Amino acid sequence: MKDSEKIIRGVIASPGVAAGHAVRAFDPQFISFNYKLKLDHVNDESERFNRSVEKSRQQLLRMQTQLKKRSGPESSFLIDAHLLILQDKLFVDRIIAKIRADQINAEWAIQQVSDELFEAYDKLQDEYLRERRGDLDDIVRRLLHNLKTNAQPAFKKLPYDAILVGRAIPPSILFELRSRCIVGLVTETGSPLSHTAIMARSLEIPAIVGVEDLSGIAPGQLLIIDGDSGFVVCSPSKETVEEYKPRMKDRQRAARRSSGSAKPAVTTDHVTISLGANINFREEVDAVVATGCESIGLYRTEFDFFREGHQPGEESLASDYAQVLKTAGTAPVTFRTIDVGIDQKSWDGVNSNLGVRGLRFCLENQDVFKTQLRALYRASVHGTARILLPFVSTVDDLDAAREIIADVKQELDRKGHRYDLKVPVGVMIETPAAALTCDLMASRVDFFCLGTNDLIQYYLVVDRSDQSVMHLYNPFHPAILRCLNQVYSLLQPTGKPITVCGEMAADPPSAAVLLGLGFTSLSVSLPALPRIRKMIRSVSFSELHDLARQLLRMQKPKDVEEKVRATVGVSV
Amino acid sequence: MKEREVVIGHELGLHARAAAKLVQLSQQFQSSIVLVRAGEPQSVEADARSILSILLLAARFGCTLHVRAEGADEEEALEKVCEYLSG
Repeated sequence: MKDSEKIIRGVIASPGVAAGHAVRAFDPQFISFNYKLKLDHVNDESERFNRSVEKSRQQLLRMQTQLKKRSGPESSFLIDAHLLILQDKLFVDRIIAKIRADQINAEWAIQQVSDELFEAYDKLQDEYLRERRGDLDDIVRRLLHNLKTNAQPAFKKLPYDAILVGRAIPPSILFELRSRCIVGLVTETGSPLSHTAIMARSLEIPAIVGVEDLSGIAPGQLLIIDGDSGFVVCSPSKETVEEYKPRMKDRQRAARRSSGSAKPAVTTDHVTISLGANINFREEVDAVVATGCESIGLYRTEFDFFREGHQPGEESLASDYAQVLKTAGTAPVTFRTIDVGIDQKSWDGVNSNLGVRGLRFCLENQDVFKTQLRALYRASVHGTARILLPFVSTVDDLDAAREIIADVKQELDRKGHRYDLKVPVGVMIETPAAALTCDLMASRVDFFCLGTNDLIQYYLVVDRSDQSVMHLYNPFHPAILRCLNQVYSLLQPTGKPITVCGEMAADPPSAAVLLGLGFTSLSVSLPALPRIRKMIRSVSFSELHDLARQLLRMQKPKDVEEKVRATVGVSV
Repeated sequence: MKEREVVIGHELGLHARAAAKLVQLSQQFQSSIVLVRAGEPQSVEADARSILSILLLAARFGCTLHVRAEGADEEEALEKVCEYLSG
């Protein structure tokens, strides 16, 4: 039995163990799901496919007309080839036959037929012809995209134990991730620091990224994700499934145990550390309240904001935010205004990490920004809200944002809306520019948050989404320690509170370094709360301070990390 | 049914552009047109109206194809297709 098993390795993005059935996320841009049809839906599905073919044909004809106008008839022959594929029996008729015979959705049928053809191409000796698979690939994408516009609520049809498998899992899937039927993620690209990975951790879904080749995994295949060891078992034997069962149950029990009884986050020398929770979806507020957490230190609002796939209206946003604040009760909620541009590299190949993201986007798209701000202020009477501006790099940006906020307040006054006059406004320190000039911003804001993920990315010049440089991403790099130390020293005289809310705060050894550098407020994802609380309760703040002084004199990241682990490692 | 052998005369073989033109040509006839490339371990057959199957023939310059046409205009179809293939 063990013979049929295959193990593929990757990088751990989210720990845990899960067993489930593979669902192929076909393409990073046009994600689609595979499902079986009821017999009486087969005709509708064939029609849906035919409409997608016709729509694709019309698009190609338009492109061809434009091309001919611009550069003459010769250049449009590639489009001829695409058009001919769209009427090719070998392709189109086979897809329809598959939909009917196997009673599967069009996306799945397209995938199966094109996979067979790709396989045939890959066997060709002729390199030039092998490359023609690119034309087919193009057509496949176009068809899938045009199917997509019918807005199928595909995720409702997932098996109850779906493991999502794909080259990349794009931001658009983050909403689907919430549906309980997804139990795991496996991708070829991405890194543990991509937003998808962060999300998987916060939802406690095991995830493996950077797997070299997923083409061997068939839809519906049984998989076990071992997110603790970093591999996936394909078609596990009964024995293997039995071996894993206790670990899956242990984890569920551990998760239940960890909620509820929260002991205070106080060090052995009686220093109280403020410990907040990071959330990505409004539904997580309940869980935060249940753990007795004292604040929501970071609510990344962009995921809820773009949940419906289009810009939300002010009314629905205002009522959502009001609900968040009401549910949070006395716990303050820090709303980070939308940070667009994150992880978009997988979307369009452009590295937007250095482009228009965060506050830059909001300043360029003031309508979007103002809508969110109006909703936030209107909701502010229902609890304790704080507004956090992401990706600030100059005092000018900050002033521009403050002007917009003043406009929004005036507008609300005119319309007679009530709002909390003193909603604190803060800045996210996540660019080197903000880190070096945070003291200059201090007089203009009420608080600061330190986003270590981006800060490390920009300081060490390591793209978070690029697997090939991930080993260089290191929170123990002396440059990072110096930077954090400097931020602390610059801000201390200003008296403005600062919370560290990046992944660095969620990993016990690096969180210990943060305490050593003087930070006394952390905010981490829900699953990380218990381990960070445990770490805090086991360390001495003053000893960590002494440790940090030693670390600041060390030369190599590896030495820093070893020293930290040797000192606090036993207890955390 | 009419059949004939022809040697590919296109320098690049039946590549994307040549294949597209062959499909467009074949579509002008009512007859079914099949191309067969003899080979080991097995022969490969292609429908002259299917660009994907033509590309999968991987027929290079100088390669011999067996062309079969069947239908009302089989004679003319065979003539024109062979003429095109021989370059």
